[in-house]
Amino acid sequence: MNRRTPLLLTLLVLLTPVVAYAGLVAGRALGPAEAWEVLRGGGEPLARHVVLRLRLPRTLVALVAGASLGLAGAVLQSALRNPLAGPEVTGVTPGAVLGAVAAAGLGLAGWESPAAVVIAACIGGFTGAGLLWLLTGGERADPVRTAVHGVLVSAALSGLTAMVLLVAPGELGSVVQWLIGSAEGRVWEHWSLLWPWAAFWSLLAFGLAAPLTLLRCGDDQAAAAGLRTGRARAGALVCAVALTAGAVSAVGALGFVGLLVPHLAFALLGADLRTALPGAALLGALVVGGADAASQWLSRALALALETDRLSVPTGALTTCAGAVLLLAAVRRATEEKT
Amino acid sequence: MIQVEGVRFGYPGREVLDGVELSVAAGELVALIGLNGCGKSTLLRLCAGLLRPAAGRVLLDGDDLARLSRRAAARRVALLHQSAPAVPGMTVRGLVRQGRYAARGPLGMLRDGDDPVCARAMADAGVADWADRPVDSLSGGERQRVRLALALAQDTRVLLLDEPTTYLDLRHQLEVLRTVARLRHERGLTVVMVLHDIGHAARFAERIVALRKGVVAADGPPGEVVTPALLAGVLGVAGRVGRDPEGGWPVCYPDHPLEFDEGLAE
Repeated sequence: MNRRTPLLLTLLVLLTPVVAYAGLVAGRALGPAEAWEVLRGGGEPLARHVVLRLRLPRTLVALVAGASLGLAGAVLQSALRNPLAGPEVTGVTPGAVLGAVAAAGLGLAGWESPAAVVIAACIGGFTGAGLLWLLTGGERADPVRTAVHGVLVSAALSGLTAMVLLVAPGELGSVVQWLIGSAEGRVWEHWSLLWPWAAFWSLLAFGLAAPLTLLRCGDDQAAAAGLRTGRARAGALVCAVALTAGAVSAVGALGFVGLLVPHLAFALLGADLRTALPGAALLGALVVGGADAASQWLSRALALALETDRLSVPTGALTTCAGAVLLLAAVRRATEEKT
Repeated sequence: MIQVEGVRFGYPGREVLDGVELSVAAGELVALIGLNGCGKSTLLRLCAGLLRPAAGRVLLDGDDLARLSRRAAARRVALLHQSAPAVPGMTVRGLVRQGRYAARGPLGMLRDGDDPVCARAMADAGVADWADRPVDSLSGGERQRVRLALALAQDTRVLLLDEPTTYLDLRHQLEVLRTVARLRHERGLTVVMVLHDIGHAARFAERIVALRKGVVAADGPPGEVVTPALLAGVLGVAGRVGRDPEGGWPVCYPDHPLEFDEGLAE
């Protein structure tokens, strides 16, 4: 373990409440002073309602969903030994979105019940991952092949989602939120569903840290060292899909988080997943929490500039824009290292 | 120590081993030679318990490897593969530590703990000085020694090496082979290694086992086994065999490849 690793992890832990606070004071109706007043136990009834009933659950959901996506990405990239793997490009996220949209839009499972949406997202996520598994011919697929087929599967699933939307356009407004990803309108009900789910699968994923580290060293090496690679990989995939499905059902398909946060985590914290996994979770929380806060600030600024009050920038739009830039940087660095 | 009894093994559409018999005693240093695709690496994998024989069995100290769990097998026999993928961000210490998985298990690996076995493995392989450097930043020869340290960290009595000198320059080849020979004496290891260079095999092994067409074609000390007939029959080359003027071990002077099956058919 590197000497600066504990320092980095501590820094990430300390940054989390900062980002959370930025999210809490980001909205239009209340300023930082009023929000702080409420957090200390005072404040007007209206301010209390806004902060405690609306902003706090929204911020917490964004943080936990981000952590789940970061973890899921780190687990996937290690299990598939593929730096291009991420829930977004392996069919997991598009599958989960399709599941959620189909359940909600077609009224397959009570639209009002978030639990049903989680389950539908899970089924969709597993379907997406399973499709990719079948197409690439099982576990010994090479990274490029997996990446290409992953994009294919993801595109096909997104197409299906679009078809569902055409059939059931009634819920379009809320559904768009899922497609792009946003924490807006998330309340305590979502939080109470999300955190036990995320906590359970995160613990399980962390228990797999040692086998996943070995899988990063290559299957031959891992097997020689005493790992049953097939079983370890299957367990890791289940964890990754479950974490992604939980996050998607709460905040939708936030672009690039699961693909890029792991890169950041591995670059900062090294290849040992005992530190890289918590790092990926914290970074994911920071990125999504930060993007959520930033999107609210941006909405406010745009509203002032355009003199309209019905404008809100979805969180996912920000993560996708920032993510695309970062991915480009990561790919360029990777090719430079190779040459 | 290792007992290979009538082992057959094949991949779909291709028979590789066709009834191999081999017995390696504790403390021996055995070199496996043969042409590409003759089943050397497959035999090594079978001896490590990474593959299950289609027929016959492999015994380790009298225990059937097929009955041991993956972890139990890895606690008793370590295998260094021919090549390994790069692991970005992995330090030497971190990679060598992975050898402790079989002994500590998935949850035991989560605890850090100062592991004297890893420290010893790194010292034995001569990589302790680079412990905190990324493996990717090392040269090929250095990386090979790190991987040797990983295998040593499994703390097994049996060490299997699959072409440990591939891609290394002559200097590093000798370095790795001398390290293996030294450790085998110091730690009382039983070593079986696949070597492509018959010169190295004659120089470092005390016993050479030659595989051909899925069976053992020759088996004995280098002085007896390494002959022009072996060069022709097993390796498919015509050549002469002399002696090292100082050490006395056989030295090969290969000349030209034989027409296919000219020598192999005999």
